[in-house]
Order: sequence, then C-alpha cells, then structure tokens
Amino acid sequence: MRNSLKVAKWEVKRNLKNKSFIIGLLLTPIIILAFAFLGNWMGGSSDDDGEEMTIYINDEIGLLAELNEFAAESGMEWTLLETDITEENVADELEDAEETTYLFLNETNLQKGVIPVYTSDDVDSHFPNQLAVLQGPILAYQMEQLGLSEEQMVALSQGVNFVGMDVDEAAGEESGEASGEAASEDDFLAKLVPAAFGGIIFMSIVFTGMAIFQSASQEKKDKIAEILLSSLKPGELMQGKIIGYFVLGLIQAAVLLVFLIPLVMYMTDIELFKYLFVPETLLYVLLALFNYLMFSAIFVGIGATIEDVTTSGNFQGFVMMLPFLPFIFIGPVVGDPSGIWAQVGTYIPFTAPGVLLLRLAILDVWPWLEIGISLVIIIVSTILFIKLAGKIFKVGILMYGKNATPGEIWKWLKA
Amino acid sequence: MSTMLEVNGLNKYFKDKHVLKDITFEVKRGEIMAILGPNGAGKSTTIRNIMGILYPDEGTIRFPQHDGNGIPQNKIGYLPEERGLYKNVKVMDILLYLADLKDYPLDKAKERILAYLKKFDLEGKENVSVEELSKGMGQKVQFIGAIVHEPELLILDEPFSGLDPVSQDIFKDEIRRLRDEGTAILLSSHQMNLVEEMCDRLFMIQRGEKVIYGSLDDVKTEYANFKCTIHGQNDLALLQSIPDVEQVETDGNTSVLYLTKNVDPNGWLQSLPDGLHIQELTINRVSLHEIFIDIATDKRLMTEEGEFDA
Repeated sequence: MRNSLKVAKWEVKRNLKNKSFIIGLLLTPIIILAFAFLGNWMGGSSDDDGEEMTIYINDEIGLLAELNEFAAESGMEWTLLETDITEENVADELEDAEETTYLFLNETNLQKGVIPVYTSDDVDSHFPNQLAVLQGPILAYQMEQLGLSEEQMVALSQGVNFVGMDVDEAAGEESGEASGEAASEDDFLAKLVPAAFGGIIFMSIVFTGMAIFQSASQEKKDKIAEILLSSLKPGELMQGKIIGYFVLGLIQAAVLLVFLIPLVMYMTDIELFKYLFVPETLLYVLLALFNYLMFSAIFVGIGATIEDVTTSGNFQGFVMMLPFLPFIFIGPVVGDPSGIWAQVGTYIPFTAPGVLLLRLAILDVWPWLEIGISLVIIIVSTILFIKLAGKIFKVGILMYGKNATPGEIWKWLKA
Repeated sequence: MSTMLEVNGLNKYFKDKHVLKDITFEVKRGEIMAILGPNGAGKSTTIRNIMGILYPDEGTIRFPQHDGNGIPQNKIGYLPEERGLYKNVKVMDILLYLADLKDYPLDKAKERILAYLKKFDLEGKENVSVEELSKGMGQKVQFIGAIVHEPELLILDEPFSGLDPVSQDIFKDEIRRLRDEGTAILLSSHQMNLVEEMCDRLFMIQRGEKVIYGSLDDVKTEYANFKCTIHGQNDLALLQSIPDVEQVETDGNTSVLYLTKNVDPNGWLQSLPDGLHIQELTINRVSLHEIFIDIATDKRLMTEEGEFDA
C-alpha cells in the first residue's frame, strides 16, 4: 500500500506539472460555463417575448384589484388596466396595438360562463389559455354571489382531478401531499442539488478515468514498466495509478465546483449548501466512486494491452465506449424512471451507477430493493473487474512492441 | 566473498517450450558475473525470473544476505533490456521517483544524482525534460536510475546495447568501480569483447541450457586452444592427417585447424607434413568471441562440455 501511494503521488504530481492536463483542468469548467451562459441567454430572450402583456379589462363587477394581485403571484408579467371601452369599439383600438388584450367582465358574461377575449394580431393564439390563471378570483366571486359558505367554496374550487398513482408509491404519496404545493419547488431542488453534485463528480472522474488508459498505454510505450516493477509489484503499480487518477478526478471536480457554485449562487437564490449536505449526496458520491473504480480498473487493464492507440483493434475501442453506455438509457429513463429500460439499466454493471443516479434524481420514492440489488451488482462487478484487470495488467504491461489481441487477453484472464 | 544471489535448478516453460533448463549459478559480492549467449538464449528470461517479473516453474532463487522472504527489491538495482523513461518529466523528478520507490532517502538521492550527472557529462541537465535528451543521454539517466539507491546487487541486462564507444567506456569504468566497492554485479551481454575485458566469471547459455560456467581465466585456459590458419590449396584428408588436429574447417583456400588442448605450438609446427601448400600461416589462441560464435551457430567444435568450479 505504501508503494501504491508513492505511485499515486507521482501520477498526481506528474499530471499537475503537465501543461496539457492543466489546460484541460481549467477548460472543462469554462466550456460548461460557456454553455450555461449561452443556454441562459437564448432561453431568456424567448421567455421575454411571450409573457409581457397589457390587459385592459372592462370591469363591471370590481375584481380588478384582486385579479392584479393574482396575476402577480402567478409570476405573469401582465399589466392589468381598467378600461370602459365597449365590445363594439375594440376592433378599432386593437388595430395598431401590440401585446394587448381586452377582457369584458360583466354579470351577463359570467352567467353565460364565457368571457370574451380580444387580442392584438401579434399575440399567440394560445394566450387565452394562459388567462385561465385568472379563473380563481372570478369563480370565487361567482360563488360568493351564490351565497356559498367558505367551506363550500374551498370544496368546489378544489374540483375533481384524475391523478395516475403508482401502487408502490402510494404509501409515500400520502405523507408527501400533506406538505402541500408550496414545498414542491423545495422538494425538486432537494433532489436535484445532490444529484447534480454526484453527477459532476461522476463525470469528472469518468473523464480522468479515461486518462488512466493513456497512462498505462504510455508506460508500455515508454518501456519504463519493467524498471518500475523492479521496485514494486504489478498490483501496487495498478492500485497506485487508480488512486492517483482518482485524486486527479477529484481535483477536476473541485475545480469545476469552485467555478460552478459561486455562479449558481449568483444567478439564482438557491441555498445550495442546505440541499447539498444530505444523506442522498453520500449515496450519489458512493455511486460515482464505484463507477470510477470499475472503469478505471477496466481502462488500466486495457491500457496495458495497447502500445499504440492508432493501431488498436475494435475490441479495445469498444471497451473505451463502455462508460458512455448510460447515456443510451437517459431517454427511456427520463421518460419512465420505473420502466423496464430503467430497471434493465440498473442491473447492468456498466450502466448501473449512471442509470441509478439518474433514476434516484427523478423518482419521488426510492425503490430501495432495486437500489440494494443494484449496489450489490455494482460492488461485486467492481471487485471482479479489478481482479481481472490485475491479471491483464500484470502480463500486458510487460509485453512490449505490440498490442495484445482479444485472444491473448482471454488467455491471460484464464491463467 | 559472500554470495549475494543463488540461482538453483531454474526451469521455465512457455507453454510446452522448455526455455530454461536447469540453470544454476551464483553471484558474489565484489565480482562481475556475466551471462552470455546469443539472442533468444534465455538471458533476459533468467534475469526476469530473478527480478520476480516472471516466476520459475522449478528451482529456487535465493538472496542469502536477505533475511526476509521474497526479493530484497530495495537492495537490487535493475537495468532491463527493454528500457525507457517517462517522456514529459524532468530528469531529476524521474530519478527521485525511482529512488523513492526504493525507499532511499531523497536528500541523499539528490546529492548522488547531481554527482552522477556530473560524472556522466550531464551536468546541468537535471531540470531538462527527458524527451529532450539524446538516446545516449537517456541511457545514462537510466543507468543512474539503476544505481542511485546504492544497490548491493546490480543486475544489468544488455547494458551496452546501443551505446557509442565513449559511453561504453564510461559505463565500463563505472561498473568496475562499483565492483571494487563491493557491489555484486550480474550483467548479460552478447558482446563478448566487452565482457571479456571486465567480467570475473561467466555463464554461457544457449537455448536455455548452460554451455560454460566458470571464471574467465578457467574458461580461457580450457577453451582458448590454439588454432592454425593456413592460406593455400590443400587436400582435406592431408590436413586431417596432421597430428593433434581436432577439427578442420575449410573455406576456399583458407583452412582453419583447431588443435588439441595441450599441444606445444613449436613441436606441432615441426610436425607439419612436407606436401603442405602454405602461402600464409598464422597460429593463435581461440578468442572468447569465437567460442561464442561457435556456440551461437551450433557448431560446437570447441565446447563439447564445460564445467568448472566457480
């Protein structure tokens, strides 16, 4: 173990002195930030277009103040103004107007249940649907007029909704509902922040895990392996590399977070740290860790079989693609986090950590049995892959001058 | 002289191929022991077994001065045949890393590295990146890497391959100096002339089998028989009829007569038959180089069997 730590220390030091590593280290967060800003900028501008609206209300029943309050609470950028224009004259008024709407609130219309809406030409045809947020105060007024008690009003305004329920989740749902709607954004962030944190560590160390492949291959190319192996055992060398690149991955994640956390705190008013320090974070980080161990073992083993990347065969290329396998599952899992694809992904060693991370971020209630089985699969396969990689590494790293064929690798595995 | 390394009855198989057959030798403190043999004879395989990079199928490898189990890696310096260094690191960094792996104190290592760089004409190169070094410089750095931790046993696999004559001399001097300081040195080579100059004992190997094992002096007395080269047109039968001739090799008008061991050159020359056609005649001792070629090409004219007490 002491020797492994020496190797790890060396790998960290060597990379931190390497210009291209430093550039990559700083470039990754910059690229991510660039995309964040770009997305924000593009998304932001389209939002502005849709929402600003001047709404003139011919209000014969005196609800304007209430409607105004309601609209503001719903986050709509509407300006509600009183008008005494009649329906006959609306056409003239709208001719030159932009982003303008006229509503006619009076007893006759209310009794019919139809409130006429006149909009200027540039207003989106779906806009009248958005006006539904104003339904509440109007309905309340109607009910008040009918002389209903407050209780009756609440019961009515709740309406009847058909909600699809998951049998497994039913138990959890009940307790969740009590906290009400106000907490929903809170819940969302509480799930998202730890998952995003885990995801960042996950990605950072997957990418550095790929660097480990380069490192093992380079060791072969530079023919230094035998010199090193006169001082330590192949297992120690491999372990040292895995630990070293893990630390490098964490450094990458740390650099990323140093850039990202202040930005998120600046751009939003999310209390990151409140959401971050929760038990879930620990599980996510654990998943990232095992995912790293599994892939770094595979990579260090495969790296030891390749001297020249440009002439390596399809087999090694295929193995290099394994860490990206979870991405295939993103679509189906987001579509149905408890569906068959999600479950399959949870049980395949290569995709389990990634898919599980994604599912847990989406699901309201965690399927503990699946998590348990998946964790067992992840841990067992990680140990197995480390063992197998050790066998490949031991022989492969000393085979100078050529790349190993899948046949040879298979032979070493059996030995 | 105490024994540093004892190889006993080493056998190694690659699949069904028997690549090392019953190899037995030892290396003592303060001597240079050479493993000689043509390419593919099993030199590097033997060394890799000693270093624990390969495992012998039969036989033992002992380090009598080492109490614990296994290989005293920190007391061994190793320069493999296939060798290189990380490209994009500084000379000092890589050498300190190698010293650190041997648990050698780093401040002392630094001192020694600077001293050796100076000795090998590499003064001021400690902060140069390895990729900027020439091949010869790189080999010197590798050599420093093998000896920086003051090993008690130094194993050099083909240390002279690819070196220019000047660098060869520097290496030879340093290896001798280390020997004189008491280091046990095991080196392998296929360059007989270099080994002949410096080794104390040698182990010659062909196809994984011992051919000769003994001190250089013994080998020379035993095998360095006289040979007589005659330029001139002669009948093979006539040449073979000359007394004390063990073997005759002819190539056109040139014939080489290998003489028996205890022949007296003066008397033998007088016994040459009258009918012999001589344009030119030389008589000299067989060199180690020829013994080596003899073995490598499987003629086995000179070395039927060889065993000495080491």
